[in-house]
Amino acid sequence: MKRQSKTQNQALSGWWAGTGQGNLVTGARRQSSRWRDRLAAGLCWTVAAVLLATFGWILADLLSEGLGRLSWDFFTKAPMDAGRAGGIGTVLVSTLLILAVCLLVAAPLGIATAAYLSEYTRRKSSVGRWIRGCLDLLASVPSIVFGLFGAVFFCQMLGLGFSILSGGLTLACMVLPILVRSSETGFRMVSDDLRRGAAALGMRQNTTMAFVILPAALPGIAVGLVLGIGRALAETAALIFTSGYVTRMPASLLDSGRSLSIHIYDLAMNVPGGEPTASGTALVLVVLLAAINWGAAAAMDRWRGRWSRS
Amino acid sequence: MWVVVFLFLFGACGGTTEEGGASKEGGGVSGKLVLTGSSTVAPLAGEIGRRFEERHPGVRVDVQTGGSSRGIADVRSGVAGIGMVSRWLKPEESDLEAYTIAMDGVCLIVHRDNPVARLTGEQVIGLYRGKIVDWKEVGGKPGPVTVVNKAEGRATLEVFLGHFGLKSEEIEADIIIGDNQQGIKTVSGNPGAIGYVSIGAADFEARRGAPLRLLPLDGVEATVENVASGRFPMSRPLNLVTVGKVPALAKKFIDFARSKEVHDLVRKQTYVPYEGNGEK
Repeated sequence: MKRQSKTQNQALSGWWAGTGQGNLVTGARRQSSRWRDRLAAGLCWTVAAVLLATFGWILADLLSEGLGRLSWDFFTKAPMDAGRAGGIGTVLVSTLLILAVCLLVAAPLGIATAAYLSEYTRRKSSVGRWIRGCLDLLASVPSIVFGLFGAVFFCQMLGLGFSILSGGLTLACMVLPILVRSSETGFRMVSDDLRRGAAALGMRQNTTMAFVILPAALPGIAVGLVLGIGRALAETAALIFTSGYVTRMPASLLDSGRSLSIHIYDLAMNVPGGEPTASGTALVLVVLLAAINWGAAAAMDRWRGRWSRS
Repeated sequence: MWVVVFLFLFGACGGTTEEGGASKEGGGVSGKLVLTGSSTVAPLAGEIGRRFEERHPGVRVDVQTGGSSRGIADVRSGVAGIGMVSRWLKPEESDLEAYTIAMDGVCLIVHRDNPVARLTGEQVIGLYRGKIVDWKEVGGKPGPVTVVNKAEGRATLEVFLGHFGLKSEEIEADIIIGDNQQGIKTVSGNPGAIGYVSIGAADFEARRGAPLRLLPLDGVEATVENVASGRFPMSRPLNLVTVGKVPALAKKFIDFARSKEVHDLVRKQTYVPYEGNGEK
C-alpha cells in the first residue's frame, strides 16, 4: 500500500517535473511534492470542515432558539396569536397534503416522461431534444414565476381558488423537470446488457420495461423523488399565492392551507416576536427532510436486496 | 392504485363543491369570506377572523397575503371579498370604500451604535436621494450610509414617500426589503444602515433587545402612545376595503373588525386600536 502510494507520488512528481525541466526526480522534488499532497489534502479537509461547520451553525442556531418551543402541543395544536403561540399541527397537515398532491401528479407524469425519453425515443431524436430543452428551461425558471402562473391558471382559470389542490399542482409543475431529468439518468444507467438479455429471451418491450428496466432504474427515480420533495418542502414563493396563508385545519383539498416554509417565512419576516416559533418550525422541517431522505435511502437498500435475490 | 388515488381526489373535490357555496340559513350568517392584501394587516385580520368564526359557526374567513396593491387588485377583480390596505387610499382609488380597523406609525430606524439622535426632513431626503453618503455629514461617526428601502407596492413605501414628498424613482437604495421584520433585521445587522418600518414592530423588537433605535420625527418621539394620540406625523391607517355593493357577511365582518371586541387583538399585533365612531 505504502509502496504503491510512493510510486504514484513519483509518477506525479515526474509529471510535474516533465512540465518543467525534464524527467529528473530528485529527493528535494519528492519532498516538495509530498508537501503539495499534504497541502491538497489539508485544503480538502478544510473545505469539508467549513461545510460541516455551516450546517452545524445553522442547526445549533435553530436548536438554541427553537428547541424550547417544541412540545406535544406544538405538533397537534393550531397556531394562535399570529403564530407566536399555539402549535403548527394544522400547518403540518396542510404541508403533507400539498406534498401528497404534488407527488401523486408529478411522479407518474415524471417517470412516464423519463421512460419515454430514455426507452422509446432515440437519444438524438428531435422530439427528445425538444422535450429535454423545454425541461431544462423550466428547471431554471424562478419559483415565483410558477407561483404567478399557478395563481392565474389553477386558482383563477380553473376556479380552484386558494387551495391545497392549486398549491400541489403548481408545485408539481415546478418539480416535474427535476424529476424527469434525474429519472431519465436512472433509466440510462441501466446496462444495455439487461435490455439485450430481455430481447434475446423474446420479451416484449412493455414486459421488459415493467419487469427489468423499471426495477433497475428505481434508485435513480428515488433520487429524483427525494430532490423533488426537498424542493417542494422548501418552497414559499410558488405557494403563497396558490395554497395560501390560512392556518385553519383543512377540511378538503379545496381549502386554503399554509405550508411549513410559508409559516417560517411569515413568522421570521412579518410577525414581531415570531422568531422562536419560526426556529421551532424550521427544526421540524429539517427533521422532516432528514427523515424523508433516510427513509428513501433505507427503502432503496431493502428493495435492492430483495430484487437482486429474486 | 392510481385509480383509487384519483377517485379519492375527485371524491374530495365533488364533496366540497356541494357544501362550498355560500348559503344563508336562519338568522345567522354563513359562508366563506376571502381577504387578501397587506402583509402588515394579514396577521391581525387572521386573528380577527378566528374570533369571528368562533362567534359565527358556519362562517369561514380565509386571510391571504401579498401586499396592499394585491389587495386592491383582488377586490377589484372579485378574487377577494375584502381587500387589506395599510395606507390612505389614493385619488385614483375612489371606486373603493375604506374602513379603518387600526392605526400604525412609520418611523425611521438606525442601528443602536449609531450616535445620530435626530434627522431633519432635508437630511432624510438627502440620505434617500443619495446626496448624503457618509454619516459624518449628518453628525454621526464617519462611515458609509446603507439606505434600506421598501419594495414597490408596499404601503410603508408610499406612506414614507408621501410624508417626505419624495418620488419612488428618486430614491437611491442600497437594499430593498419587503416586510417590516426584514427591515428590522437588516438594520440590526448593519451599523451603517437606515430604514423605516412600523413603529409597533420596531418598538417591540427594540424592547426585546434588538440593537436598533427609533428616531423621532419633527421632534415627536416614535412611540405607540404618540401614534394613538395622533401627534406622530408619519402614521397610516390599516384599512379593509371593498368595492361596489357589500354582501351581508362582509359587512358584518367589517363592523366586527371595527368594534371594541377586537381591541385586545389589535394591541397584541403591536398596532393602535381604531377609536372612530364605528359607522361610516
